[in-house]
Amino acid sequence: MNEIINEKVSTVSSYNQSNGVVMPRKIKWQGRIYIINRLNYHHKIRQGRTMLHIFHVTDGNIDFRLCFNTNNLHWTLEEVCDGISS
Amino acid sequence: MEFPLNHNNPEIMHIDLNSCFATVEQQANMHLRGKPLVIAAYTNPSGCIVSPSIEAKKIGIKVGMTVRDAKLLCKDVIVRDPDPLLVRDVHIKFRNIFKSYSPIVIPKSIDEAIIDFSKTPALKRGLIQIGKEIKQRLRDEIGEWISCNIGIGTNRFLAKLACSLHKPDGLDVINYKNIKDVYRKVNLVDLNGINTRYEARLNANGIFTPLDFLNAPEHFLRTSVFKSIVGHYWYLRLRGWEIDDVEFKRKSFGQNYSLGKKTKNRQKLSKILMKLCEKMGRRLRKAGYSAKGIYIACIYDDYTYWHKAKKFNKSLFTTQELYLKAQWVFNKQPEIKVISKISVSCYDLLSSKNSQMSLFDIQQEKQKKVCRTMDNINDKYGEFVIIPALMMGMKDVVLDRIAFGGVKDLEDLYF
Repeated sequence: MNEIINEKVSTVSSYNQSNGVVMPRKIKWQGRIYIINRLNYHHKIRQGRTMLHIFHVTDGNIDFRLCFNTNNLHWTLEEVCDGISS
Repeated sequence: MEFPLNHNNPEIMHIDLNSCFATVEQQANMHLRGKPLVIAAYTNPSGCIVSPSIEAKKIGIKVGMTVRDAKLLCKDVIVRDPDPLLVRDVHIKFRNIFKSYSPIVIPKSIDEAIIDFSKTPALKRGLIQIGKEIKQRLRDEIGEWISCNIGIGTNRFLAKLACSLHKPDGLDVINYKNIKDVYRKVNLVDLNGINTRYEARLNANGIFTPLDFLNAPEHFLRTSVFKSIVGHYWYLRLRGWEIDDVEFKRKSFGQNYSLGKKTKNRQKLSKILMKLCEKMGRRLRKAGYSAKGIYIACIYDDYTYWHKAKKFNKSLFTTQELYLKAQWVFNKQPEIKVISKISVSCYDLLSSKNSQMSLFDIQQEKQKKVCRTMDNINDKYGEFVIIPALMMGMKDVVLDRIAFGGVKDLEDLYF
């Protein structure tokens, strides 16, 4: 089941200079910390002139769709999915 | 005029991502992998499935089925709506990979492309080797769940046919040596461009298999079967000669919308028409055109349809102008019926730079300036930040979607 969240979340991210990959590592959502262990897909979209980075990541139990706004540097958890049919 | 089979080396590669929308969604969401998943235009029971995953295809779910039918086949099927931005990003990434092999890459749809390798250094390595390399690069550079079918042939038609031989994740070559074997194994409707009506026409002329089709004389195809130059084209196409490398100019811009809730309420339909005109107008102006014609088509709840086209003296540029004329054409419907799908297009395109200024209508230039300013605001702050009043409350109606098999709308990606 997937659910639209659209909530700001605290995030720790890392940048690997050898492969140029930026990846969120930890997110805090509704008081719980989720350790991200895999980046499934990353892409960029434009909202007007604002560039948004979309990270599809997982902690092994839930898939998260995180959005990083390059204009205000805010992280938003847009969607979660556990892969179960609704 | 009789032609032999094309004995040249195959230099055309057709690449088709497997179950594109579903596979891309599985790439982005790990927990959807290995499960029956369908991407539907709308997730309600009557929503049309646009892409079943490979797992869903195995249990008999097909493109065009409704979500209701898919749930009957498998009650645990996962239903998601499309993510056009994600799929467009994958399209751009795979196109960039293909561009590293040849400058001639022709996108055929959001998940299909043709690479013409003629006169490229890549040919020396052999197309089968390059095909394997492309498959690996798609996995490495886009995602490990992404797979594709690759077909290689002497023309686009045979490359496409080769691409469809072994699904998923196939790699096939059709050349003069195996062409007859391939034709022996497939049916007429497996050939790209032959549907059930063409099949019936071929059957009526004694052609029942692709091999019969190949063996038919050119004169017979041209004068008896197709009764036009199309017969000659098919004669060449089947023998591996290129006949489809034609670029068509853009002749129109259009938008269409299948109504989630069918209605005959004129007020609601006017709002939808306005949004369609705004989206169409944005694309028209971005490409640097104005239009002189408007075309409206409606499909009704009772499966009947109505359509009308009208050309005007004045060129149409602003959303307001397009909408007023579209509404005028729309009002010409002979009777008010419940509408299930509405389409609006503008045609007879002119370059907006060379448009004739009106001597008397001084308001026209002012309206154009207002319209350009609105476009600039939307470009800067995001789509539909500033909208005509009639479009209020339409945020979740006429959502962004990818046209089925459309090629022309992909131009918007490359601007």
